[in-house]
Amino acid sequence: MSERSFQRNLLISWSGVIVVLVVWQIINTLQIVNPGIFPGPLQVVDTALNRFPFSDVLAHVRASIQRVALGFLIGGGLGVVLGVTSGWYRLLGKLLWGPIEILRPVPPLAWIPIALIWFGLGEESKVFIISLGAFFPVVTSAHKGMSTIDPLLFRAAQSLGVKGPKLLLKVAIPAALPDIAVGIRVGWSLSFGSLVAAEVLAAQQGLGFLVMYGRELGEVEVIVYGIILIGILNLVTDHLLYRFLFQRQLRWHFGT
Amino acid sequence: MPSSDTSLHATTAGGRASVRRVVWRRLRRLRIPDWVYGLVTVLFLLWLWEYAVDHGHLNPYQFPPPSKLQGTFESLLERGFPRGITTDVHLRTTLSRILKGYVAATALAIPSGLVIGSNSILDRAALPIITFARSVATISLLPLAVAWFGVGEFTRVFLIAYGCYWIIVTSVVEAVKGVNRQYIHAAQTLGASRVQIFFRVMLPASLPRIFSGMRVALGMAFLVIIAVEMIGTVRGLGALIMEARTFYRTDVTIVGMFFIAIIGFVLANVLSWLERFLLPWMTDLDEVQR
Amino acid sequence: MSQHIVVDRVTKQFDLADEHTLALDDVSLTIEANEFVSIVGRSGCGKTTLLNLIAGLITPTKGEVRIGNQVITRPGPDRGMVFQHSALFPWLTAIDNIQFGPRNQGVLRKERLEQAHELIELVRLKGFEKKYPRELSGGMQQRVAIARALAVDPEMLLMDEPFGALDELTRAEMQEELLRIWEARKKTVVFVTHSILEAIYLSDRIIVLSPHPGRLRAEFPIDLPRPRQRSSQQFMKLYEDIHDAIF
Repeated sequence: MSERSFQRNLLISWSGVIVVLVVWQIINTLQIVNPGIFPGPLQVVDTALNRFPFSDVLAHVRASIQRVALGFLIGGGLGVVLGVTSGWYRLLGKLLWGPIEILRPVPPLAWIPIALIWFGLGEESKVFIISLGAFFPVVTSAHKGMSTIDPLLFRAAQSLGVKGPKLLLKVAIPAALPDIAVGIRVGWSLSFGSLVAAEVLAAQQGLGFLVMYGRELGEVEVIVYGIILIGILNLVTDHLLYRFLFQRQLRWHFGT
Repeated sequence: MPSSDTSLHATTAGGRASVRRVVWRRLRRLRIPDWVYGLVTVLFLLWLWEYAVDHGHLNPYQFPPPSKLQGTFESLLERGFPRGITTDVHLRTTLSRILKGYVAATALAIPSGLVIGSNSILDRAALPIITFARSVATISLLPLAVAWFGVGEFTRVFLIAYGCYWIIVTSVVEAVKGVNRQYIHAAQTLGASRVQIFFRVMLPASLPRIFSGMRVALGMAFLVIIAVEMIGTVRGLGALIMEARTFYRTDVTIVGMFFIAIIGFVLANVLSWLERFLLPWMTDLDEVQR
Repeated sequence: MSQHIVVDRVTKQFDLADEHTLALDDVSLTIEANEFVSIVGRSGCGKTTLLNLIAGLITPTKGEVRIGNQVITRPGPDRGMVFQHSALFPWLTAIDNIQFGPRNQGVLRKERLEQAHELIELVRLKGFEKKYPRELSGGMQQRVAIARALAVDPEMLLMDEPFGALDELTRAEMQEELLRIWEARKKTVVFVTHSILEAIYLSDRIIVLSPHPGRLRAEFPIDLPRPRQRSSQQFMKLYEDIHDAIF
């Protein structure tokens, strides 16, 4: 692409965002909507820089990330293990299928009341919800990945003398990885969403709490600030995950 | 692992493996359908649960036994919980909220997506906005929506519509962009005008992918409504399980979750069924898309 | 009435990202009305590009393509096209695919249905009118594709390796079919193919392009009477000559 068309594309990409910001600010300045409940971008930026300096926010961000990472690792890890074994040992797969299929359509948040009963009001219940968010997509896609491996790959490996557990580790799992990766990405997004919801519903720290705090103070700028931060965090983490999984580790399948 | 290839099992060493092989082979010969296995496991777990509560291994407050749940199930259908609000009221409330938000989102997303997808400048300009708006956690908008619209039904429907809109519009845009160029070339060499190509080629070719996005959006709608119903309302499935907890009725919570599971299952599949009916010509998605 | 196709000193350059590909370099040729001409050559010789230029799906960087005295700048129903992978609309049945062109031209239902049935008979797919493309074999799909292209009564048929995705036996069958249809509905045919044998079997004239960049390499008139014997001496000789011209 020539230098000029690259610049042109960049300009167009930004033009949409700029238009939105300008219109937003105009609505606020002209007070078309009550500015008490409809803050402008400049006010939000002001809040970001002055009311909540980044060092404070960092603590919230860290709390959130820790929660979601823990829940994601537990749920995702369990999901991979169960998904892979249930895909490898068909009998186990058929047996596990029942309970998993019944529980899968239940949104992670619907588990909140029962989680509070089982685990009380502490961190455990939140991590539990988050891990549920990761578990189901991952276990489903891991199982699918393992079940749909081309039998030809196994025959080829066996003719090269590979057998037993090595077959599982060196042939089956790599072949299933693309599906598992997709499941991981979905699982992360679900975990993140569950995190935010859990924090909005009940937390002392974390970005979701920040949003609710703004409500209590009656300061909508804080709410908007929190919303935007969450959106950015979601976008960034998903992008990093995507880059890592799909563009580096699994380049052989998905291409650059 | 392909179970047709029993020789693979044979390569694992040990006597235990051969026992497993024999059992497995016998079971397969019986050709028991998959769902029976699932049913057996579930029934077994339910029995185990009942047993554990009877013998004091599980706390009946935290794990109300299936026997009790059955009674709760019936009472929920007849008398309802909280008193007077029966299951079908909760179901109808939740479903109507989903429907309103979902339909609103679809009605907006399909036309806007078609326009954006057909215009490369619009598409490029809109992409950052759509991507960011989609990344915003819908639940986090709850306090903002309450500040704007109050605590009524509109707020709830709005949130569902928000969550669904960005998902559907993304898939519509991708559907339009991804239409196999050859269909367009073919239509051009058959003398079709631009308008005709849009309605008679792009639209039908986009449908499978749009349906796919709509499936995902419906799942999202369900997630959002359950969460939203847990605050500030007594009607709806989300409200049901939250209220139950407030009154220490674990049994109601669990039966409520069961209803949620059923609705979730139906929602997850209704579009697939609809798609098979409306698009009888469908093959693999790959053929229709680039 | 069919007209000459004139490709007049056509050059086509593709500019993508940072690559500039010269697909065709100063190519000129003429195709007579009702002639069956094949274009052969190795990968990268620009045969598909040339076909797309005649179809009007792309425009030349230099030079022009004329039909009669009209310069071609866009696609149209006078130049019917058949693609390698049929490009049948999967959401339409066979008969609806065939009616697609006439329908868009405003032809009345009764008339276009009649014509479509005629074409179905021509391509020998009676009984398969209501089938969706996914229910048809590769060979059948190509027959529908040919019928669909014929439905708008084009002046010529542009065929881009239409039998390339078919197995050997079906391919031979389709070659027969094509000749039969061509005898019945005499039209100019420009046929792009990888297969020298196929080209010799079907065409009045063969044009050889050489790759990187695409240039006119040789022309071979085929004077053999049809139906042609693939094992005859002349056939074999032609094959050798053309093969040498390509490689």
